[in-house]
Amino acid sequence: MLHGRRASRRPDRTLPVPAPRRSLPAVTAFLRRHASLLVIAAISVAAGVALWRRDGGDAVGRALYHAWELFLFIMPSLLAGLLLAAALRQLMSPGALGRWMGADSGWMGLLVATIAGSLTPGGPMAAFPLVLVLAGAGADRGALVAYIMSWTLNGFQRVLVYELPLLGPNFAIMRVLITLPMPLLAGWVARRLPIAWEPPK
Amino acid sequence: MTPGQAFLWVLAIIALGFCFRKGPAAAHRAGVDAAKNLLKILPLFAVALPMAAFLAELIPADAAVAWIGPDSGFKGIAIGSVAGGLMPGGPFVTFPLVLAFAKAGAGVPQMVALVSGWCIFALHRIITWEYPVLGWRFVALRMISGLPLPIAAGLISELVVEVLPISLGVR
Repeated sequence: MLHGRRASRRPDRTLPVPAPRRSLPAVTAFLRRHASLLVIAAISVAAGVALWRRDGGDAVGRALYHAWELFLFIMPSLLAGLLLAAALRQLMSPGALGRWMGADSGWMGLLVATIAGSLTPGGPMAAFPLVLVLAGAGADRGALVAYIMSWTLNGFQRVLVYELPLLGPNFAIMRVLITLPMPLLAGWVARRLPIAWEPPK
Repeated sequence: MTPGQAFLWVLAIIALGFCFRKGPAAAHRAGVDAAKNLLKILPLFAVALPMAAFLAELIPADAAVAWIGPDSGFKGIAIGSVAGGLMPGGPFVTFPLVLAFAKAGAGVPQMVALVSGWCIFALHRIITWEYPVLGWRFVALRMISGLPLPIAAGLISELVVEVLPISLGVR
């Protein structure tokens, strides 16, 4: 059901996806939009049925109540996190940052990338296109690897909204402190790998 | 409201204040943006939270102990790193699932490896975002330079846990 020509009708054509990989982006665009929801819903239903058959309806009800409690617990952070992310997106100027992250920026550039990454709010739909903006402004592959690593490992939004409340402050603070310098290392390694990368036009 | 939540709200209000200084239009765009993202996330919550709750009930209390328990050492850390990379979905799916593992007896260093492995390797995110937007060369660069990091994080936290009484704050 997903043919190459569907790529031309993708609504998110603003994403700079290179032309030769047309059929795959068509598939992935579809996956991107619905796959997680479908897969999780399927697992959820299967697990619910399995629990109902093993322990009865009461157990299912209890589990759903736990889920509701978890939702109420996470809701205040979620709302604040979304508001903060949206506000930061209005305030940040990635182009200005990218100039600090060139190939000869050394550790300083990696540090700027690491700080920028951990301050970047939002999911992959925001972060990966930002990589292209930073690359356009002059950031090199090492800085961009550091940037993505820092966003995913130590992004403030993810840590504050999910990890801290759910896994506890002890755990979250320890993990963040341990992984804090890792984007710098990854960026340093990436600059030395013999793999040339050009941002897709 | 917990201190972490209060902190987040203070940050959000300060950032919104800066938006207002830039102009009411910027603040309005921020509000619309936040509302749109909330509507996108809510359906995922509606399926992900029950899934995690069901799985937490289904997984026997000590199921995770043998694989990623506190005494599983390096093997548990390696398993955690790989399993983390295979976990599907964003934080709203993963953290409730990780919570289920924690309740089933996972050790702290193994959980560090699991969370870090999910952050760095997240296979679903590579397939749906990183490869299409940035190309395989970027994926290769990032994967190779990040390969040892989840295991390193797990090993370092094993040292930390020996000195400090770090616990998983499971509700």
